[in-house]
Amino acid sequence: MKSSTAVATHVAENTIGFFARRRLRMATVTVLSALALCWWLRARHFALRPDVVDSGVVLAVLVLLLAAYNLRKKLTFLPLGRSSTWLQAHIYMALLSVVAFAAHTHGRLPRGPIEIFLACLYLGVAGSGIVGLVITRVFPACLSTRGEEVIFERIPQFRRKLRMLAEIAVLRSVTEADKTTLSDFYTRRLSRFFSGPRNFWLHLFQSQRARRRLLAELADLDRYLNAAEGQIAAELRDLVETKDDLDYQYALQATLKGWLFVHLPLTYGLLLVAAVHVVLVHAFRGGAL
Amino acid sequence: MSDTSTILDRPKRWDQPFGGDMDDATVDRLLLGSPFREMDPAEFPAHLSLREILKNDTRVVRYEDNDIVVRKGDYGNSAFLVLSGKVEVFLFDVPSSALGRRERRRKGLLRSIARLWTNPSLPEVRDRDRVRATAELADADENVHMKILVQDLPIAMDRQRTAQLSEGQLFGELAALGRIPRGATIRAVGGAELLEIRWQGLRELRARSAALRKTVDEQYRKNALGILLRDHPLFKHLTFAELEEVAREAVFETYGNFEWYGSYKQLLDAEPAQRLAAEPVIAREGDHPDGLILIRAAFARVSAVFGNGSRTISYLGVNQMYGLEELVHNQTADTPAPLQTTLRAVGYVDILRIPTSVVEKFVLSRLPREQVLKFVSYPRQLRTEVEAGRAEPAPVATSPARAREAGGPGPSATLDPGTLEFLVDNRFINGVAAMLIDTDRCTRCDDCVRACATAHDNNPRFIRHGPIYGHHMVTNACMHCADPVCMIGCPTGAIHRSAQGPVVIDDQTCIGCQTCANSCPYGNIRMVEVRDEQGEFIVDKRQLPILKATKCDLCVDESGGPSCVRACPHDALQRVDMKDTDTLAQWLKR
Repeated sequence: MKSSTAVATHVAENTIGFFARRRLRMATVTVLSALALCWWLRARHFALRPDVVDSGVVLAVLVLLLAAYNLRKKLTFLPLGRSSTWLQAHIYMALLSVVAFAAHTHGRLPRGPIEIFLACLYLGVAGSGIVGLVITRVFPACLSTRGEEVIFERIPQFRRKLRMLAEIAVLRSVTEADKTTLSDFYTRRLSRFFSGPRNFWLHLFQSQRARRRLLAELADLDRYLNAAEGQIAAELRDLVETKDDLDYQYALQATLKGWLFVHLPLTYGLLLVAAVHVVLVHAFRGGAL
Repeated sequence: MSDTSTILDRPKRWDQPFGGDMDDATVDRLLLGSPFREMDPAEFPAHLSLREILKNDTRVVRYEDNDIVVRKGDYGNSAFLVLSGKVEVFLFDVPSSALGRRERRRKGLLRSIARLWTNPSLPEVRDRDRVRATAELADADENVHMKILVQDLPIAMDRQRTAQLSEGQLFGELAALGRIPRGATIRAVGGAELLEIRWQGLRELRARSAALRKTVDEQYRKNALGILLRDHPLFKHLTFAELEEVAREAVFETYGNFEWYGSYKQLLDAEPAQRLAAEPVIAREGDHPDGLILIRAAFARVSAVFGNGSRTISYLGVNQMYGLEELVHNQTADTPAPLQTTLRAVGYVDILRIPTSVVEKFVLSRLPREQVLKFVSYPRQLRTEVEAGRAEPAPVATSPARAREAGGPGPSATLDPGTLEFLVDNRFINGVAAMLIDTDRCTRCDDCVRACATAHDNNPRFIRHGPIYGHHMVTNACMHCADPVCMIGCPTGAIHRSAQGPVVIDDQTCIGCQTCANSCPYGNIRMVEVRDEQGEFIVDKRQLPILKATKCDLCVDESGGPSCVRACPHDALQRVDMKDTDTLAQWLKR
């Protein structure tokens, strides 16, 4: 007969997914670590030890370990473990560092200009990290729901192709119907739409308002079109939808790639200013330590 | 019809003979020797006469002393008959370096770090001298079978561990007919004249000539079948003599098209019913089970009638069985159950049919029923009420549909039906290390592509793109197939299965003939134009670029395993063995 622990593990494995189990495990470890850190700093405080220095050292070590992940990502050829393991450690150590930061600053904004700048950098790095975590968990699934899976670098190429197809269709409408209804609409409303990525922020917030409006305007034209033009308008509608899906892919993929361009420079800045902070603390420590 | 239409003769089977220099005199000479003189030309139909087969599907190849004829581990599509002279079979593993292959060693720490500054900035840069050596090799032997000299074999070779084959003896037929790796390295001794028979011709000869069929089958029974049965869990308990008896009774059958990779691409766009219709039926649902079917090579689809179509229940690979559940059931049941599912060849499949009486005598009467049922290779379809917990045996379902209505298991205990259909239709079941990406987790950061590039001199060896089912993508990366059709026909053996398992290409031996790239059904081998260290394209005497075949090598020379998997920060990428459906299902349903 299976032991109760084995049965419980089996039940857990079959009812809770791999990621949820991992999240639970890592969160438990982080909470316990945070409690242990708080308890230790408090003990140091009551023992009249410089707990600010202790929390500072802990925070510095955590920040260095967090920054080491970027190094790991660059050294892919070394057997340093899986990147996903490092990312998990990065996320939960980052959460722990928030506790260490709060302990170090006693939950207040520092007073010196360098310290204020340093605190802002830390908050910027932490904030961008949280934003990054959220979008890397939410956006990938959204990408699967709209449009074709497309490689980011190839998007401009596809966009050019769509623009060319739209222009060919519009030119055909002029020659076939001898009217400029569709070409005027293209010049007025669609030319700009097809010329580059559009509705970036709307796409990020999953809004289809702009798409619906454009399609509605195109549909409104129907009563002024003959059969041949109607067919071309239908083609244009398909192209608008495809282009909008492509813009959606572009907006989400660009954000997924782009947030690191905020997170990483802030991290380098944080490391630099933190080094200055440590030097200054030691230079002006007097007898405080 | 317009006057400008180009009118051609319809292409025929022998428009491209195997060897260009097979004249009537040579064929006459062959017909006088063994085994062809024992064959009755009347057994061959007029359009496939023995003479024409010899003329079009064979060629005479002269090997000098020490020339390698076949290398252990290579995949080949032809067999050899010794016409004169002798060949020597190495019964030990010959070092790779002696066979013209470069040994792939894992990179050390320092060499790994050195890549930070030694990796070229331009794509596909090669050492010019090495490429020149390969180009000369290709030029010299452009139109003949590639031969590689044994240069580095130890002089004091152990003669006790070799065997000699002489005039009239056939070798290489098992690998050619069964698409399995060559079992041994064979070289010419003191010069030998061999008749190389391509598999299409060999298949005809075997089918028409009882003598040759007997020779090939006996060879298989003697050399391979014993080992296959001995290692099979269902027959493990048998003695050597009993295994021999099972082997004697077993019947070999082949279904489907050996060169399935050609028709596969056309069938991909067809309707599901058309795709299924193109797969030859091996055993049909509702028929009486006449034996146990054991898959010997390639893959088969197990399906059952569902609505107006067929639903895939599972796929079977090498050593997996079909029909066992029915045999177990029928052994004790008053009313025998027919086959509950249909077995079809996915492309091409080699099977072994073991008669019911043999299975009953050696397996069902020896092993407990429950133990035997554990060997059923796919979700069970029959469930007697005894097993369901009732004391008395109840009537069994006599039709498969009724059995399912009676509460038999669903299509798959592990993979959902849609995924199964997707994997089988696209033949991804061939993958041993297929790259799957969970698109719901993949942030499209391309860390996997970058890591792959870093590991391969700044050249990524896969494209993060491919067919998607649900939120899982099967990426355009070499799957290191169980049935590696890409290896067939490589004239230099540059593409081969490494000792560690993955299929790799030896860049130095590759002559850029594109055979592998054209054969790969999944388009996972890319031909690249190579450059020298200065960034100039390397060209041949005709100013044509030198090509090399490239693909994923599963980072065999990297410590730590495939770089792509290690580099993925979001657990979105995995290399999966499609035969291990439990692990696959577990990963898909995380």
